[in-house]
Amino acid sequence: MTEDYSLNYTDTDIDLMQSLKAPGKGYWFLLVFLLLLIAAGAAAWGVQIAEGIGVAGKNNPVGWAMYITTFVFWVGIAHSGTLISAILFLFRVKWRAAVYRSAEAVTIFGLATAGLFPFIHLGRVWVAHWILPVPNFGGLWPNFRSPLAWDVLAITTYLTASTLFFTLGMMPDVAIVRDKTRGWRKKVYGLLAMGWQGSDNQWRHYTAAYVFLAALSTPLVISVHSIVSWDFAMSIVPGWHSTIFAPYFVAGAIHSGLAMVVLLLIPMRKAFKLEKYITGHHLESLAKFIIFTALVVGFAYSIELFVSWYSGNPFERAIFIYRMTGDYAWAFWLLITTNVLVPMLLWSRKIRTSIPWLVGICISVEIGMWLERFVIIVTSLAHDYLPYAWGIYKPTLVDSLIVIGSFAWFFFLFMVFSKTLPVVSMWEVKEQINPPTKSGR
Amino acid sequence: MELQRRDFLKIIGATTVATTLPGCGIKQPKSLIPYVIPEESITPGKSVWYASVCQECPAGCGISVRVREGRAVKVEGNPLHPTNDGALCARGQAALQGLYNPDRVQHPMRKGEDGKWRAISWDEALKTFVDELQKIQKAGKGGDVVLLSGHVSGALEELLGTWIAAVGSKNHLRYEPFAHESLRKAQSVTFGVDAVPFYDFAAADTVIAFDADFLETWISPVEYAKGFTRHRGYTNGKRGTYLFVGPRLSMTASNADSWFSVNPGTEGVFALGMVRVILEEKKEKGVSAADALRISSMVSSFSPDAVSKRTGVPAEAIRQAALIFASSSSGLAVAGGTMVEGDSGVATIAAVNLLNYICGNIGKTVTFGPSSLSRLASYDELALLADQMNGEKVAALVMTDVNPVFDTPDGLDFARAMQRVPFIVSLSSFMSETSELANLILPTHTPLESWGDVEVREGVHGLMQPAMQPVFDTRMLGDLLLESGQKLGRTGNFPHRTMYDFVRARWMDLHKRLGGKSDFESFWVECLARGGYWEKSRSESHPSLSQNLNSATFEPLAGKETAKGGTFDLILYPSIAHYDGRGANRPWLQELPDPMAMNVWDSWLEIHPQDAAAAGINTGDVVQISSPYARFEIAAHVSTTVKPGAVAIPIGQGHTAYGRYANNVGRNPIDLLDPKPSERTGGLEWAGMKVEVVKRPYQTILATVSGSDVQHNRGIIQSVPLDELSKPGNSEADKEQALSMYPEQEYPHHRWGMTIDIDKCTGCSACVTACYAENNIPIVGKEEVNNGREMAWIRIERYFDEQSPVPRADFAPMLCQQCDDAPCETVCPVYAAYHTEEGLNGQVYNRCIGTRYCANNCPYKVRRFNWYEAEWVEPLNWQLNPDVTVRTKGVMEKCTFCVQRIVEGKNTARNEQRPVRDGEIVPACAQTCPAEAITFGDLKDRKSRVSELIAEEGKRDYRILEELNTRPAVTYLKAIKREIA
Repeated sequence: MTEDYSLNYTDTDIDLMQSLKAPGKGYWFLLVFLLLLIAAGAAAWGVQIAEGIGVAGKNNPVGWAMYITTFVFWVGIAHSGTLISAILFLFRVKWRAAVYRSAEAVTIFGLATAGLFPFIHLGRVWVAHWILPVPNFGGLWPNFRSPLAWDVLAITTYLTASTLFFTLGMMPDVAIVRDKTRGWRKKVYGLLAMGWQGSDNQWRHYTAAYVFLAALSTPLVISVHSIVSWDFAMSIVPGWHSTIFAPYFVAGAIHSGLAMVVLLLIPMRKAFKLEKYITGHHLESLAKFIIFTALVVGFAYSIELFVSWYSGNPFERAIFIYRMTGDYAWAFWLLITTNVLVPMLLWSRKIRTSIPWLVGICISVEIGMWLERFVIIVTSLAHDYLPYAWGIYKPTLVDSLIVIGSFAWFFFLFMVFSKTLPVVSMWEVKEQINPPTKSGR
Repeated sequence: MELQRRDFLKIIGATTVATTLPGCGIKQPKSLIPYVIPEESITPGKSVWYASVCQECPAGCGISVRVREGRAVKVEGNPLHPTNDGALCARGQAALQGLYNPDRVQHPMRKGEDGKWRAISWDEALKTFVDELQKIQKAGKGGDVVLLSGHVSGALEELLGTWIAAVGSKNHLRYEPFAHESLRKAQSVTFGVDAVPFYDFAAADTVIAFDADFLETWISPVEYAKGFTRHRGYTNGKRGTYLFVGPRLSMTASNADSWFSVNPGTEGVFALGMVRVILEEKKEKGVSAADALRISSMVSSFSPDAVSKRTGVPAEAIRQAALIFASSSSGLAVAGGTMVEGDSGVATIAAVNLLNYICGNIGKTVTFGPSSLSRLASYDELALLADQMNGEKVAALVMTDVNPVFDTPDGLDFARAMQRVPFIVSLSSFMSETSELANLILPTHTPLESWGDVEVREGVHGLMQPAMQPVFDTRMLGDLLLESGQKLGRTGNFPHRTMYDFVRARWMDLHKRLGGKSDFESFWVECLARGGYWEKSRSESHPSLSQNLNSATFEPLAGKETAKGGTFDLILYPSIAHYDGRGANRPWLQELPDPMAMNVWDSWLEIHPQDAAAAGINTGDVVQISSPYARFEIAAHVSTTVKPGAVAIPIGQGHTAYGRYANNVGRNPIDLLDPKPSERTGGLEWAGMKVEVVKRPYQTILATVSGSDVQHNRGIIQSVPLDELSKPGNSEADKEQALSMYPEQEYPHHRWGMTIDIDKCTGCSACVTACYAENNIPIVGKEEVNNGREMAWIRIERYFDEQSPVPRADFAPMLCQQCDDAPCETVCPVYAAYHTEEGLNGQVYNRCIGTRYCANNCPYKVRRFNWYEAEWVEPLNWQLNPDVTVRTKGVMEKCTFCVQRIVEGKNTARNEQRPVRDGEIVPACAQTCPAEAITFGDLKDRKSRVSELIAEEGKRDYRILEELNTRPAVTYLKAIKREIA
């Protein structure tokens, strides 16, 4: 059926389930290390709640900084999952089968990480529930004119849809695991498999539901980051108030999401010896996609600059001149380099098929995408309308620890996932290999 | 002046005090309402106003103290007082932080053998005080007792005089660091009157100031600012002309139409140049031919070219200035302040006196009369005292509220001299560098807790009454003097038991002198309510030119280089916030940005960019400054506010023993000066020192609130040429309302609005401190200001003009603009920011969750976030306004247009069943503004002053960032520019 794989059903089950075996020393070491970083971040948050948000480096003009930067970054990371699992599914792109499970995990864990930041950045996190549209005695609802209220809805919707998609897509695989484990594990997997038997009737309903969910999730890929971008675009801050923001942010999100998937797949396939399933072809396909998103992002940057000049708006112009020459110019030029110029190396087949190069370039993209949000947020606030009120933001220990802790939290979740659930979709890989026949193997 | 509600309340308040306070004890308050008077006289929730007199500087402005539940919570200018007419400066506003200062001396203390302070009882303290003095009296050394006080007038001056006489001594020094020695001597040289003159700015249509910082600290800044705004304010096409001559662009200078940046010490030369031009052009007024001839001969060598060479100002500019001044119908030239009070100070001021004389201003805008300022001791008297102390000729030194150790040069070594005095008593409210060296401290009430009267200018009798019970275990200075005086002198000298009795007796005399029409009790109550009594006729002399005046007077201006070598001319100027240093322990004043440098919690060295570049100095670099007398390190502040070749340092910082807020903040530059009094003036030579400045290889933090010195052509401060204003033309035609996507806001009752006249705003920042006091705004300290977290709801944005070839600065007060289409309101996810039906951008602190989105989206950047829990040090927290919520950490706050005052005003109107009157509701900033730049009112009411102003000023009104279409409720009126020379 396909030229990609020379596998059979039995090997697939064995190969793809060996990732669930008891972990080695290295795994535990890494897990403890991540837990320590998470603890440091949590402690920093504790300090911030006790002392006040002043322990983070924000100030009067710069009310948002690293927290919102990192929030947008993780929402962006969360994009590749649904893109790969839903959109590529609808387009019947075959190479997605091997990578989509991890990509979906990236989505959910990305959201789980991003979701922390709106809380972390609040001045009074203990009353955060006021932002939820919960019926209450006072009859006081959130302000639906505020993009922050839209954010809440967009992100919870996206989280719900992608969690559904994730668990639904895993049902047949979990059923296999259930059948091959004993004891309490069997019960847990049994619960997750939701009584999957693999009957024709079940498959019929299952595939229908899968297509339906894929179709439902597709617009979410576009909407979520568009809405997140409106946190900025709907404001009147020069450098934020721009119609280009929605597509610009979606492209950036996919850019960083793809790079993150590559970064996770490469060590994972090595650790679990999945080279047969996640092949060079898959990585190369992702790399080609990254060239595309890099070009889109680069185009967005140039349009942004052009419009700020062409508009003749002195405030817009001033912001872009400030970005290029001001206090954060190093970050601006670094992000242009890492996001757009470095990925251009992938045009070379030699480079995009070289694992070290690919890893390096993907790391560069992640740095660049984080810096991109940082530059947009901080420079615009630092130098807006009234020159007298201009200021500068400097990170502190507390907000740095929280940001680092958020990275640890994401990787921690991913590592737990990799040891508890099948990281490659068995049933979809099987769809692509020849079914077992009496004559065959 | 019509009687307003607030004035009425004051009368009620005063009546209460008058009838009840005599019974006051000095026990510590134990109940919530710390008053001993019957409880029925206090209505919880109701303010009472007590009129008194401000004692933060020698000007003697009238104040009204707002008291709630027995605690003073706000100080405002007394609108009935002739000196300040309702306005008050930042220092006056901060008087409360003197009253509630946590570092006040809280009980009597005696220094032990080990040099450590020990708390003692009042009985012991008084016994020691009297015993020691009696011992001296018995030893026949009563005459060697010296009483050192600050500027005093009225009852206290009389009492101090009686007291020192009772001790048997004649030595009472009224010591002030800024005693105007040159100014007084110059009057005596020119006119034969040793006095500080009175200046009437309001009556002048042209003002020329020679260094005098009359809008900041000089003599009576609030009075002058009030007068200045009358002279200057644009009405009916007219606006006064104002020129400034001096080497530093002070806040006062930046208000001028033209700044003539003369070389330091050549101000007098400039004035004589002007005199010569005026006489040559025969423009003099009211001068006899003989006088004109005499003066001509004195100024013959000061031709415009010669003057130009000395001052560094083009000859044509001098001519222009002279002609403008001479052609005015009533001019006023003032000279003074630290930049003039040098060795040549008398000559400089005499030159300016000539200028006034030949233009006929003497007797019109410059008048003379008895003033308590004229009785101040000069610096040479203090230096002589130090000599006597060193010679062990002083048996005892009794000081009240003076700090010579701090405000005289180190070279004088007053501290060492004090060690030679066997017995030193400090009767002061605060510990200070000087009190620290005393043997005994008898802590006194602050002026807000004391009885007294003040008569700075003859005929203006200010009456001081305590606004509340004493905060600490202190006593009234007057009471202490009376009690100890009775034991030290003959009993007949002190017929009164308390200061209250003494003051009342003085006012009985006044009542008798005035004819005593009504009975005394009603006169007394009336005066307490009014804050004093102002006599209409004043004995003012109209002096003529003294015969002693001759060319020799101007010898010091001849231009011989002084020997005091060094590269840079040193300019010291009193800080607008700290004056001579006495304001440094008030945290509000520490956090008040200097109007020109915009720095807080520090002192700095201003150096011109040209000189800075040559030495590789940047703002924030540490430099070492050295004179022959002292050397220290200080932060550099590169600025065009000084001329090339000059450096400037503000006075007031550098305390070591003046409480937690003042200690170890900045440097005391007075130490750089020559301790020897000038023989010519008798004063300290504030000007004329040359210093070396060397860059050090490290940097320091200079906390500033200004993000940019210029406005990058963004039209935040707009200006219009004067001649354009007088041209006819329909100004309203080109103004059309921009479209908005939002529905029009509807205001059923009121739409509160404000106008701010940029042309009137002097930059004095009184509004900033008033806002801190009214709205419970916390202090954050130097580090947090440096992090960009100052909490001011109103700020003065100072921008240097980027187009002007000569440095000039303008000021724009910036506060919440209460926009109709407010960007902050739409983005708040929880409706903490919402639009009230009276047009305010409301902020519900309890609802705020702290997303800070509103602050990001505010183009005016006037929202302030509580980054930490605010710290309210006991008993400074007693000052908190009970009508305003104290905000918690994590919430956003902002200007409310003083919504608590709006509510109070509306409630009063409703109770009286009438509509709110225009002018009845005044926010704290507008209330205190000495320049009357802020007008508040109802925009829905076409006849309100604010609506009328907007309509009248069709050519000047604009809204900041109007292109954003936020539709602010604050309308600014453009600055008016007039090009001169």
